[in-house]
Amino acid sequence: MNWNLFVTELVAGITHGSVYALIALGYSMVYGILKLLNFAHGDIYMVGAYIGLGIITVFGGPLALTVNVVLMLFIMFLCSMIGGGVLGVMIERFAYRRLRTAPRIAPLITALGVSFFLENSAQLLLGAQQQSYNSFSWANGPIALDHFSLPAGAVISYANVIVIVGALVLMLALTYFVQRTQTGKAMRATSFDREAASMMGIDVDRVIVVTFFIGSALAGAAGVFNCIVYQQVFPYMGFQAGLFAFTAAVVGGIGSLPGAVLGGLLIGLAEAFATGYISSTFQQAIVFGILIVVMLLRPSGLLGRAVIQKV
Amino acid sequence: MLKRVGLIASGALLACLAIVASAVARPSATASAGAATASCSKGVSVGMLAPITGQAGSIGSDQLHWAEFFVSQWNKGKGHVKLKLVQGDTQLDPAKASTVAQSFASNKSIMGVIGPAGSDEVQAVAPILRKAGLAFASGSATRVSLTNGSWKGYFFRDVPNDGVQGPTAANYMFSNLKVKSGDSVMVVDDQESYSTGLADIVGAALSAKGVKVDRESISQKSTDFSSLVAKVTGSTKVVYLPFQLASQAQLFAQQMQAQGKSAIAFGSDGTFDSSKFTVNGSYISFFAPDVTTIPADAKTVAAFKKQYPGATSPFGAPNYVLAQMYATAITKACKDGTISRTELRKAFAKVSLPTTILGTPIRFTANGDLAAAKFHIFKIVNGKYQTVA
Repeated sequence: MNWNLFVTELVAGITHGSVYALIALGYSMVYGILKLLNFAHGDIYMVGAYIGLGIITVFGGPLALTVNVVLMLFIMFLCSMIGGGVLGVMIERFAYRRLRTAPRIAPLITALGVSFFLENSAQLLLGAQQQSYNSFSWANGPIALDHFSLPAGAVISYANVIVIVGALVLMLALTYFVQRTQTGKAMRATSFDREAASMMGIDVDRVIVVTFFIGSALAGAAGVFNCIVYQQVFPYMGFQAGLFAFTAAVVGGIGSLPGAVLGGLLIGLAEAFATGYISSTFQQAIVFGILIVVMLLRPSGLLGRAVIQKV
Repeated sequence: MLKRVGLIASGALLACLAIVASAVARPSATASAGAATASCSKGVSVGMLAPITGQAGSIGSDQLHWAEFFVSQWNKGKGHVKLKLVQGDTQLDPAKASTVAQSFASNKSIMGVIGPAGSDEVQAVAPILRKAGLAFASGSATRVSLTNGSWKGYFFRDVPNDGVQGPTAANYMFSNLKVKSGDSVMVVDDQESYSTGLADIVGAALSAKGVKVDRESISQKSTDFSSLVAKVTGSTKVVYLPFQLASQAQLFAQQMQAQGKSAIAFGSDGTFDSSKFTVNGSYISFFAPDVTTIPADAKTVAAFKKQYPGATSPFGAPNYVLAQMYATAITKACKDGTISRTELRKAFAKVSLPTTILGTPIRFTANGDLAAAKFHIFKIVNGKYQTVA
């Protein structure tokens, strides 16, 4: 058994899975409350990544950073989360709100439209070329190159640690918020029955805005997390990440927050181990093959509730 | 009832006859499209298909600038036919390239075309330009099958094809990077046709000499190579990356560094971009030499940089040479004061330049390939590309 390969794939899988999980949480939260598949969510992740790149540029660029890396990371996350959150709220306000009572196909198509709008706007405003965080060369802290040692001679870079720990902190904070705060309880109530929640005095509009803000802020953070490890920023980066995260949300059980995290990690690990042990060529076929089996065995997802429909 | 069946049968027969007639008539349509003549007195227009904007905008702009540079130099001279360059932006997208090619085909003043840049684009525009009777010559499309004879007499290129690139890269690994029988080389394609084809050629060349080839594949859209990099072992001497995006090769090489892997990254011509692929000690094969390092070109390069300040790449100069070849062919075709697309095409196929800024003579084979083609190898040293072979 090649333990070095095993540990390295484990690190890669958890890192990528953490990013998927953060994006999947947003999909799941919005679906839980509005029953809307917000396909523009992956593009909010892209916008978050660009905001992070903007902060790096403001502080002199990767090769000539004028600020401490820890402080810069803090500012990057803060700005990308606020930026992502505000964008999510704007999308809800201007594109989805009027369609709440429309047939479900209408907001679905609108979501696709918003997705293309964001991608093309990014291409127009920021250029089609791939740009890089280049965290391998950050002047006062190359966090993608510096690393801790792991058993079997494997290593884990500081950037990977930031992603895994950061994602874990955000997930715990979200769990606390949803389970222990007044707004969180209102979100759960709205998710359970929007009409009843409204009749009980819950401001459903406010709950939906908060849901979009939090879900989109997590996507913005995921954009920065992704790019400090995998570097590349480009206008269409949200499409594939969004697709995988959506799949993660469905596998975990769409509407279930722990399910989204579990689904994200499963996909990340399946990708990594399929590449390492089976075939990089057929990686996606293998991953989605596993997912098909999971869905056949548990159609409502691993932690999803089976919905009983009255006829 | 019988009357209706008879009508349908007659209609079907007429439709079949129309299809057959149009198919039979196609060559003459091509011939007539190319035979229309125009006066040379006010200059001759050549279209330029290049990715001037978009993801490959830096490459396309450089290609355009070198062609424009030649045209401006040529037009300064007296006593010969003036050239006009008509720009067409393809954004490296075959669909957009087809649209622009259609407009070139309809523009009766355009007699020949430089470009397009990418092999997929060439395949997309070839039927359109061929039907219009236009010659088209690429300074960067390297797919082997483009010169298999399908567009003989219409398509040309002044760069070597991947059939030359693959063996050149493999031979360099044997002779200079000390790869020998029993060693391992990882070959990773990016799941695009350019990449898989080249990876197959290099993989076969290495296997033929007893090298263990670890053939891998990862999507061009992927940015996480860490799972693949984990499979690079201590016995892996080289990781060959025939990618289309330099930033992907950079990322792969960086992730190898992050995991402490000592294998050498070796990119193909698609990864040639000194602003994006900069990992020290890596190698790249490329279809054209770096004209900025050829002493005989110093004066030309200085004049180019004066006209177009900023960086240039080896993607540009082959387009200068194509413009030069068109100028030579147009001069010959315009001897009687008029020119047609057919005349230019035939003259272009026969152009032979004994010296060029690429440092080698240029002429075409019967199928439109570059005769006596050679690929060049560069090494990245402190972010700069140095020619090593």
